[in-house]
This record gives sequence, structure tokens and C-alpha cells, in this order.
Amino acid sequence: MRHWRKLLRVLHRDIGYLAVGLTLIYGISGIAVNHIADWNPNYSIQKTTIVLDSIPKHLGKDEMTTFILQAIGETGNVKNSFRPSPNELEIFVEGNTISVNYDTKTVTQEKFNPRFFIKETNDLHLNKPKGIWTYIADLFAVALMFLALTGLFILKGKNGITGRGAWLTAVGFLIPLIFWYIFYG
Amino acid sequence: MKKISVTTVILVLISTVAFAQNGKKYGEKISVKEKTNISTLVANPDKYDGKTVLVEGLIVDVCEKRGCWIEIASDKEFQKLRFKVDDGVIIFPMEVKGKTVLAQGIFEKQVFTKEQLIEQAKHHAEEQGTKFNPSSITEGKTTYRLKGLGAVIR
Repeated sequence: MRHWRKLLRVLHRDIGYLAVGLTLIYGISGIAVNHIADWNPNYSIQKTTIVLDSIPKHLGKDEMTTFILQAIGETGNVKNSFRPSPNELEIFVEGNTISVNYDTKTVTQEKFNPRFFIKETNDLHLNKPKGIWTYIADLFAVALMFLALTGLFILKGKNGITGRGAWLTAVGFLIPLIFWYIFYG
Repeated sequence: MKKISVTTVILVLISTVAFAQNGKKYGEKISVKEKTNISTLVANPDKYDGKTVLVEGLIVDVCEKRGCWIEIASDKEFQKLRFKVDDGVIIFPMEVKGKTVLAQGIFEKQVFTKEQLIEQAKHHAEEQGTKFNPSSITEGKTTYRLKGLGAVIR
């Protein structure tokens, strides 16, 4: 019995060490994507709008693109351009999308930058790499369940699963059960 | 050591050339051989409804928060088609805007009521962080999209 508990403790400790990095990645990303309604968890986006004095509507797409880029001082690499309607033009520059409205003479710039580290954690959390990462994430999920279950039996006595541990574990189960009841009951 | 370095450089060059030729792949492998113009799909919706097609065009918009759709410019001026993927199956980064995509998906004709369009536009505005005036939608309409299966972006 003592050997059995000791083995659990050793496995819990070593697998716990292995899981620290991934737990932090999934935890950080979990908070980030949980609030997706309030912010963009992957990119910081700055939108600015200016109104030009005049826009020479007669210009062709390429000439208009050159005119607008000069007017706003954008020197980035132009990837392409598109006309969503006869009175609108969109210019795609590396890290910047420029929308032009010929009627209102407004030029809106949308500059975006990936959020350092958080985007990378989100990519892993949401399994963007696919392939082998799918299996690593599965292993991590199994490891977390193992840590949860072995954690129940690390201590014995009044702070173990037969005492305080039982109550706290029950509370842990009750939290999702109460929410299920409220939302689906 | 020198041999390893030379081999590494050759491998990197080969993979770079291969990547440049093929582009970045998303989702399922492209299996449809013949491309169809977006304008042809939109002009003949009943003929293509439910069919798996391959289109090519410029990416003019991306779902900013979830990367769950892109909009592809048509061969016809002022026309575009949404390529919608199931959440999490494919995640398009914002950097693909302005690049060319070869996209395979199921063409879908969708008939929406006014209320459904308002709800969609509200959701879209929330996703894109833009403002939306519900009174700008006065009636229902029929829209077209591709249910995204796979894409190659160059």
C-alpha cells in the first residue's frame, strides 16, 4: 500500500513537471480566447480614418493606389488592390489594409500586428499546426486527467480524499453541474 | 560539420522552392481539377448548389478574430464570395489578406429573411469591431457562399 502511494507521488511529481509548460500555454490562451467577444486575442489592430481634401475619381485602379499611398505616406510593400464597389477601393499592404471611399473622401487604415507570445499560445491551444500536435495535445489531456486523479490520493488522513479532499472535490464537481442545471435544466 | 551545414542549406533551399511553388495548404487536399469562375457560380446558383467546386481569386477580407472565413474577389468587378470553414477546422491568419487563394468548397445558395440578415450583420460587426445600423437592412435576400474544405494560399 505504501509502495503504491509512493509510486503515485513520483509519477504525479514527474508528469507534473512535464506538464508545467503546456499548462501555462493552455491557461494563458484559455483566458485570451475566453474573452474573444471583448478583444482580438491574436492581433492588435489600430484603425485610423482621415478625410482627404479631394480624390481624383477619374484615375484608374493602379494610379489611384499610387495617389492614395502618397497622400497617406504609406511606403510598405503593396500586395494587391480590390474594388468592392464603383466608389470604393481597398489596398492591401503588408500589415495594413487601406479602404478608400471616393464619395466621402475618407481613407481608413487598419494596421495589425500579431500579439507577441499570446498568438503563438492560441495557435497551439486551437490546434492550428494539426498533424503531430494533435497527438501531443491528446497526451497532455491524458496527463492532466492523470494528475487530477493521482492528486486525489497523494495525501492520506484528514486532508486527504477521505476528509477535506472529499468536500473540495465535491465542490469541484458541483460547479459545472450547477451551471449545466441553470443553462440546460 | 561543413557537410552538415551544406546539407542543411540545400534542404532549406529545396523546401523554400517547394513552398513557393505550392503555397501554404489549409484543410483538405485539393481534389477538383478544373477551376470555376466565381461569376459563373453566382450566375448559375441552381446548377452549382451543393456541388464541390474549385475557385481562384484574391483574398479581400478575413475573419479577424477566429480566422473562420475569407472573402474571395470574383473575376467579375465588384463581386466577391465568402469561403466559410467550420470553427477550428481551418484558421486563416490576417496576413493572407491580399494574397491569392485556390479554394475548394461546396457551393451553397442561402435564402435569408430580413431578421436573419440583421442578426448576421450584427455578429459580423462584433467580430470585425465595426458599427452596424440595423435599419440599413430593409429586406431579405439570397446569398451564396462556399462551405470551405481546403485551400492553398500563395
